[in-house]
Amino acid sequence: MTEQPGTRTSMDRKMVHPQHGAEGTILDIDNFCLWYGLKQALFNNTISVEKGLVTALIGPSGCGKSTLLRSLNRMNDLIEGLHTSGEIRLDNQNIFDSHVDVIALRKRMGMVFQKPNPFPMTISDNVSYPLKIDGIRDRRILSETVEKSLQSAALWDEVKDRLKDNALGLSGGQQQRLCIARAIAADPEVLLMDEPCSALDPMATTKIEDLINELRGRYSIIIVTHNMQQAARVSDNTAFMYLGKIIEYGKTDTIFTKPRSQQTQDYVTGRFG
Amino acid sequence: MQQTTTEKTVPIPGLRRDKTVKKSVIWADRLADRIITIGGILVIVAVLGILVFLTVETLPLFRSGQTTGQFRYQLHDPPPVILGAGMDEYHTLTYMLLPDGRIRVFHTRTGYEMNPLHISADGAAITASADSMDQESLALGFSDGTIRIAATSFDMSVIPESDLPSGLTKIDDVDQTDGDTVFSRITGDQYRLIRFRATVEEPIPSSPTGQPITNLAFQSSGEAERQTRALVSLDKSGYLSMNRVQEKVNLMTGIKKTEIEDIRLPPLPKDIRISVIRLSELVDTLLVACEDGRLFRYNLQNTATPVLAETTRVLPAGQTLTVCEYLLGSQSLLVGGSDGSLNLFFTIIEPQMGTADKRVMVKAREFTPMTAPVVRISAATRGKTFAQSTTAGSIRVAHATSQKTLLTMEPQTPSPPLALLLAPRMDGVFYLSQSGEASLVQFSTPHPETSFQTLFQRVWYEGYTEPTFTWQSSGASDSFEPKLSLIPLIFGSVKAAMYSLLFAVPIALLAAIYTSEFVHPKIRDILKPIMEIMASLPSVVLGFVAALVLAPVVENWIAAILLSFILIPVIMLTGSLFWQFIPLHLTARHGGIFRVIGAMLLLFVMAGITILLTPGFEAFFFQGDFKSWLTGNTGDALPFLFLILLPVSALITGLFYSRFVNTWLMTIYGRNSLLAASVMDVGKWVFLSVMTMGVSFLMARIMSRYGFDLRGSLVGTYVQRNTLVVGFAMGFAVIPIIYTIAEDALNSVPNHLRAASLGCGATQWQTTIYVVLPAALSGVFSAVMIGLGRAVGETMIVVMAAGNTPLIDLNIFNGLRALSATIAVELPEAVKDGTLYRVLFLSGLVLFAMTFVINTVAEVVRLRFRKRAAQL
Ligand SMILES: Nc1ncnc2c1ncn2[C@@H]1O[C@H](COP(=O)(O)OP(=O)(O)O)[C@@H](O)[C@H]1O
Ligand SMILES: [Mg+2]
Repeated sequence: MTEQPGTRTSMDRKMVHPQHGAEGTILDIDNFCLWYGLKQALFNNTISVEKGLVTALIGPSGCGKSTLLRSLNRMNDLIEGLHTSGEIRLDNQNIFDSHVDVIALRKRMGMVFQKPNPFPMTISDNVSYPLKIDGIRDRRILSETVEKSLQSAALWDEVKDRLKDNALGLSGGQQQRLCIARAIAADPEVLLMDEPCSALDPMATTKIEDLINELRGRYSIIIVTHNMQQAARVSDNTAFMYLGKIIEYGKTDTIFTKPRSQQTQDYVTGRFG
Repeated sequence: MQQTTTEKTVPIPGLRRDKTVKKSVIWADRLADRIITIGGILVIVAVLGILVFLTVETLPLFRSGQTTGQFRYQLHDPPPVILGAGMDEYHTLTYMLLPDGRIRVFHTRTGYEMNPLHISADGAAITASADSMDQESLALGFSDGTIRIAATSFDMSVIPESDLPSGLTKIDDVDQTDGDTVFSRITGDQYRLIRFRATVEEPIPSSPTGQPITNLAFQSSGEAERQTRALVSLDKSGYLSMNRVQEKVNLMTGIKKTEIEDIRLPPLPKDIRISVIRLSELVDTLLVACEDGRLFRYNLQNTATPVLAETTRVLPAGQTLTVCEYLLGSQSLLVGGSDGSLNLFFTIIEPQMGTADKRVMVKAREFTPMTAPVVRISAATRGKTFAQSTTAGSIRVAHATSQKTLLTMEPQTPSPPLALLLAPRMDGVFYLSQSGEASLVQFSTPHPETSFQTLFQRVWYEGYTEPTFTWQSSGASDSFEPKLSLIPLIFGSVKAAMYSLLFAVPIALLAAIYTSEFVHPKIRDILKPIMEIMASLPSVVLGFVAALVLAPVVENWIAAILLSFILIPVIMLTGSLFWQFIPLHLTARHGGIFRVIGAMLLLFVMAGITILLTPGFEAFFFQGDFKSWLTGNTGDALPFLFLILLPVSALITGLFYSRFVNTWLMTIYGRNSLLAASVMDVGKWVFLSVMTMGVSFLMARIMSRYGFDLRGSLVGTYVQRNTLVVGFAMGFAVIPIIYTIAEDALNSVPNHLRAASLGCGATQWQTTIYVVLPAALSGVFSAVMIGLGRAVGETMIVVMAAGNTPLIDLNIFNGLRALSATIAVELPEAVKDGTLYRVLFLSGLVLFAMTFVINTVAEVVRLRFRKRAAQL
């Protein structure tokens, strides 16, 4: 069913890739399976995520989008009875290798969650948190990073006068952009976003989408969404998942206009989901 | 669904539901609502009721006297001089001794004159008299230089109404008389008979030259068979003589033998004008006070050779002594001056002053001056209450220790006093002025000795070298004065609570963090109930285990325990360092359970190491014996300071390290493999420990150089039942509570915050410290407060393991006495409605207030936390 055989080497992958970014791939998901205890949630998934582009993961609820996303920075590690097979390579380094430092891996992959989850601290403390855990105490560096990250997250103008206010006082959309700023502050290579707009109103959603468009090129973004229009608007590539499998992966235009699989066709036209 | 569509659907037979709420449901709802409301109100009422009850029980402590009866009359033919006077305990009869040997006896409430008594002395006039503290005898000095001892008594008996003789004269509503005896009607149709008697013994020659005796001091003590009486007299020529009269009754023959012993007193200066001489109750002190305020103190402890121990002044120059009287126990001396001042003196031990018996008289208290000089003082025979009267006849009854004024009274016409008598039960004062104006005021002062000051402030008690907070509720002798300062008890409660929290809080919080953040929920579901089972141990069991098992063990192994406080963190850290050497794939797969087992094993290893190291440790730091080092006799302050400063310097070193060294090291780490990093970690650890010890040593050195020694403050002489033992036992009792509440607080921090932190690349520990703990901080704080509340109110453990010594001493190796323990121990023995009884109620009130405040703060913080947690 998948259009991508799981046995390709990194050499020839570029050639069959649906849409080449200028800089090649950053993440290779290779024949990846995942079990929650005895229940298999992901089946032999293989895709390559391109550097600097926005990749959307779509599919009906419960198909394993979040599971796949959380596997990428090993946030699933703590779940009892979880095991995996296959590989996920970040810059050709399997992230499940025994000597991989999970902490360092997560610092390379920022994550934004479905529900905005700022810490109950000040706005600036929220943004500088990734630096704090790295032991950076230099005031100048901290405040510079806070400003840059907030600007990147298009939040600076709204909060610059109240950086010392509690972050919980912000609106939902602002909170989500703050979380993006926090993720950016760690200077990651990849941004993982799990339905970042599902808890937001349309206005805030538009702002986040604009922000994603602006971040394109600087970070490789993988965004889970069940909103087809959103996927169409923000992503370069789209993967459609169904029942734990990636059914189809390709350029977003292609997926939405002439999908190869009937299931994809049914899903994007709204016949189920 | 709309109503119309439901109509259209085919009803399922028998299942058509009525959609209105049933009456019974509404009623049940209302009933439950009422019951819950009433229950809540009842709880509040009960708590308030207890509060009100406690307050009502303690209020009388702070009341002054209340007049219950007042009698004023004009006494017939008032004598110009009275040499002695007395009153019975029911305020029925009063006697007055007159110089001509007559004893006038009259009815105290009305002045009704009884038949007088006569003391015959072969025509000599009585020139001086003195009564003994036991109120049963009187010494009389005569104009021929002799002294006679008179036994005086108010004889009392009770008869039924049927035995009442006829022909009695009515005195007032209650009393009748036959001229000698007063018959007072009392409850139950009975009559109380009171009669005054006096008998005089043979004369004892006192003045060698036969001069009239002008001043006399007298004490009588011992049982009837072997009485010792001491007499000191001053004759008109200024000769001071002391006699000891011993009466021995031969038990076989019944013959009385009187021995009179002359005691030579060291001479006084010639030019003095002696105003008063006073002999202490135990005949160990003789005071000679001069008109000008000079005071000579003889120490008579060595009967054969009295010494003039001290010459001092009790009045400023220019003042004249107007009164000088011992209070009960003959330690406190009240001295009045011509300016109306009244001061209290007693002796304290003060070797520096160079007196012969190393004691000096000090002025311990000043009373509010009167407008005229105080000329009469009548001291109570129970407690330290006394009555005083000025030349103008103003009367004040006060308590010497609490300085509480119990009663004041002004005469109708100012006139100097002839007699002032405080009733034996301290419930009345009789006053007779020179103009014959007599008044008897009856009053009640349930608790003259307590005031806010005696309960909560420093009080200078007799025999103490300075004002102190003292709790000592009972003593051996009758003249013992209860010392009821609540401060040592409050201190004890707080001390016990603090030291046990010092032990319990780290363990409880670390355990809470461990189960909520680091173990799998499944393991947590096992661990948590186990921790909570600890709470089900009755505290009395904990108490006796602590007192009978733990205390001796701790005493034997105290040095090992001290060492283990240092070794536990060190060995745990070392263990975790070596954990890194185990290959990652092994630890990753078997982490949880192996780590726990490893930690357990380490604990055993540590116990072994501790036992092995202890002798060396004691020898190296404490001259081989920690306990003798504690007494302060051996060694110096440095070693202990070094040990106790280790955590502080570890903190300083850690901060320094993370600030300056770490970032630099990080860059190197990045380039190395995991194993190399582990090796470097060991190096780093060695460096850090050496630096910590260095810093600690340096600080200890500096502090000990400046004379800083923890012995005498935080540590000191070792007592078996001490605060450390209490801390262990009570810590055990409060750990479950603190743990449970703190764990709940940590757990209520939503997981999405943890995910956010972990997603940023924080470690589990960083997530806990930077995100979870701050978010749960108020909840954790309230957990600690609730633990504190429990520890302050805890009773059985402190009763059994704390030694119950009411000291104000921070020393962790000394005992303490808590409020709760005092109530538990002393209430069964306290006389109902007595002072101690009420003070114990006050202790209860204070305890209630403390726990109430602590728990309220905890609860308020907890509610705030709940609200905040819900917003997260
Ligand atoms: N922690 C978990 N333990 C067991 N099963 C899980 C867990 N998380 C998700 N699943 C299961 O895995 C499947 C995929 O879930 P998820 O990745 O959350 O789907 P999606 O994000 O696409 O809605 C679902 O069937 C879900 O029930
Ligand atoms: Mg999901």
